[in-house]
Amino acid sequence: MTRRRLALVGAVLLAAACVERLTAPGHCPDFCPSGQITVVDTLLTTSINRDSSYRGYVVSYQSPVMLAGFLPGATGTLDGRPIFRFNGFGPRFPVSSVDTGQIRGADSARLQVYIVRHDTATHNLRLQFYRLPITIDTTTTFDAVAASFNNAPFKTVNVDTLLAQPGRKDTVTGDSVVVDTVNHRLQLSLKFDTAAARYVATDSGVVAYGIRIAADTLASIAFGKGAVGPVLQWYLRVDSLGITQVARTPGVLGPTLANFVFAPPPAPLDSTLAVGGVPSARGLLRVAFPKFIRDSSHIIRGTLFLVPAVAARGAPADSFVMEARTVLADFGRKSPIDSRLGETIVIHPGATDTVKIEVTNMLQLWAADTTHPTVFLLRSQAEAQYFGEIRFYPSKAAAFRPTLRITYVKPFPFGVP
Amino acid sequence: MRRAVGIALVAMTLTASPPDRLSAQDSQFGIRGLGTPGRWESVRSRSGGGAFGPFDLLSPLMEAPLADISQLTATAAGGTSHRDAQLGDTITKLRATRFPLMGVAGRVAPRLAISVGFTTYLDRSWDVTLRDSTVLRGELERYRDEITSDGSVGDIRMAVASRLSRRLAIGAGVHILGGSTRMTAQRRFDDSTFHPVGQVAEVRYDGFGVSGSALLGVFPGLTIAGWARADNRLRAQIGDSTIALTDLPRMAGGGLLFAPSPSVRFAGSAAWRSWSNAGPGAFDTWSWSAGAEFGSGRMPIRLGVRGGQLPFGPGTKAPTEFAASAGTGRAFAQGRALIDLGVERLERRGSILTERVWTVLVGLTVRP
Repeated sequence: MTRRRLALVGAVLLAAACVERLTAPGHCPDFCPSGQITVVDTLLTTSINRDSSYRGYVVSYQSPVMLAGFLPGATGTLDGRPIFRFNGFGPRFPVSSVDTGQIRGADSARLQVYIVRHDTATHNLRLQFYRLPITIDTTTTFDAVAASFNNAPFKTVNVDTLLAQPGRKDTVTGDSVVVDTVNHRLQLSLKFDTAAARYVATDSGVVAYGIRIAADTLASIAFGKGAVGPVLQWYLRVDSLGITQVARTPGVLGPTLANFVFAPPPAPLDSTLAVGGVPSARGLLRVAFPKFIRDSSHIIRGTLFLVPAVAARGAPADSFVMEARTVLADFGRKSPIDSRLGETIVIHPGATDTVKIEVTNMLQLWAADTTHPTVFLLRSQAEAQYFGEIRFYPSKAAAFRPTLRITYVKPFPFGVP
Repeated sequence: MRRAVGIALVAMTLTASPPDRLSAQDSQFGIRGLGTPGRWESVRSRSGGGAFGPFDLLSPLMEAPLADISQLTATAAGGTSHRDAQLGDTITKLRATRFPLMGVAGRVAPRLAISVGFTTYLDRSWDVTLRDSTVLRGELERYRDEITSDGSVGDIRMAVASRLSRRLAIGAGVHILGGSTRMTAQRRFDDSTFHPVGQVAEVRYDGFGVSGSALLGVFPGLTIAGWARADNRLRAQIGDSTIALTDLPRMAGGGLLFAPSPSVRFAGSAAWRSWSNAGPGAFDTWSWSAGAEFGSGRMPIRLGVRGGQLPFGPGTKAPTEFAASAGTGRAFAQGRALIDLGVERLERRGSILTERVWTVLVGLTVRP
């Protein structure tokens, strides 16, 4: 009997267990709270001021790629040429564990380069290799090596022809190509014959090369640097005991300089807001963030509107990504970037449409942290890796100035019956 | 053994209820107003439709019945409601568990008894979802809102009562109203470029009230009761800011208890509340109840009906409600522990909304 009673009590307690289901569709206004969520959309036309551009953050030799291009355009030809230099082994090379011999020259050499970005629509892509003065350095300009590029190339490679070869190897020239479909790269292994591979002992074996490219259309590619940079393998002839010459295959050499030069140089900065290009330019926009939005609302969307002053410049196939970020402190051109938040948009060369970037996260950050500088920084996401550059009207241009559109929610009237 | 089980059950019930869940039965009608008024009745009284409320010393409706308390008594009540809210053709099934009553009473002098306890004054737990659209930036944007409120306003009552004569008992009480609700308002757009927004606030409430009551034995077997209560205003605060001040009702009621024999009791009661003080959309209400209890021994049977009006609702006419209830009780541990069980079927109507509610009630009383 006691067990039955306990079971009854248990069942009742179980039925009264703390389970809630309160969610019901509202039927407004009769069966809804009197307060509603109020959304306001406002266009801030004069809140962006004191905007400016700066150039020189990432220069060509700091870029992780070497840009090559030959793009005739209405205003001139964009011509980009990779230049790189390898140090040699000096005038002598070990022939045994105790002796060294004079390096007499090279039987051949093999240069390996990576094309890390290319347009599949580019046809008949040709690479022309030039010898450059070994004095090239990071300050070398397009004009400084122009004369060397006017000489006849010591080697020309048609990439498309090479790709069409059986096994992607040219048995005549000794060149080959490997297609990395995962990373979308082409690995070119190019043989320099005795005439092309000049080991000049008096220069300690230092050689410098430059590449020009050409194609039927859209000749614009990027060569890799660093781990995917050019490497040179020498096949040397070395004196042995002053009587015979022996072959030696030293280790491969990486470049001591990998850079690119280009023309025309970027137009000087003016009152417009320049973003991108090489050396890279950044735009800085200071926002007078309205107090009524910052203090008492929840931002649900913020969009930055920028009107291009001129069509975006760059290789037609090389659309680049522009990103908007905010800064940790406003030190002008040296403002440290807040890397936590950022929004991006793709800029297509030639386009003149108004650029709209969603900046909601950054506005929310500003609203949450009132000590945070209310500054937008615009830059290319891959700085100095594209020729592309865009220029926007600044705040001085009243009709086309940058504007900010903010959609926010007013405080909910909690507690009001 | 039985005593131990009884004490364990009481302990379970008293400890299983967090303070912010001290609510009564919610209603969609209370969303637009101050909330859903609580029922100031023990399970025992509520099983009889509430008609025995004015005469029940464990119900916080009146103070005067406390005068007849013989020993220290603690009581608590809990209930689970299964509610079907029908709006037009749409029926939503809702469920809630509440612990609307807890109190301790005892005699401190030969003619003086006191009681401290709380009950729900206004229940403010609800969760409303809304699907709608608005034009933003020139485009129609669809969104889903969810506005919730979780909490209640409690009524902490300190009461004294005294039997002045064999026929007359009186009582008085002060009521401290307090509580809080955690409110949220969320909007989520279909277009994810509009970020979801969620706002949260902890709204605190306070108020004050006084009440008085009297029991008069007309002749053996017939007792009448009368009570009145006045509350000042309900202040809603967020942080240090007062958000709203709402006048609270004055109320009065009475009841009649007829006990032709020790095992048969009939009761009826009525009450009036001036909820229209609370502002637009609020109505004065009348409520009534009638009930009977058969058997005074081990397991009495209780039956009752009640009806009346709800203070908040759309339109110009107060929503109405009608309920029928039944229940029983059982004493354990030589009468030191009592369990009361009840079930209630309630229907509320107003405008296009109809609510039908099944509520299972459990009450525990301990006399150590």
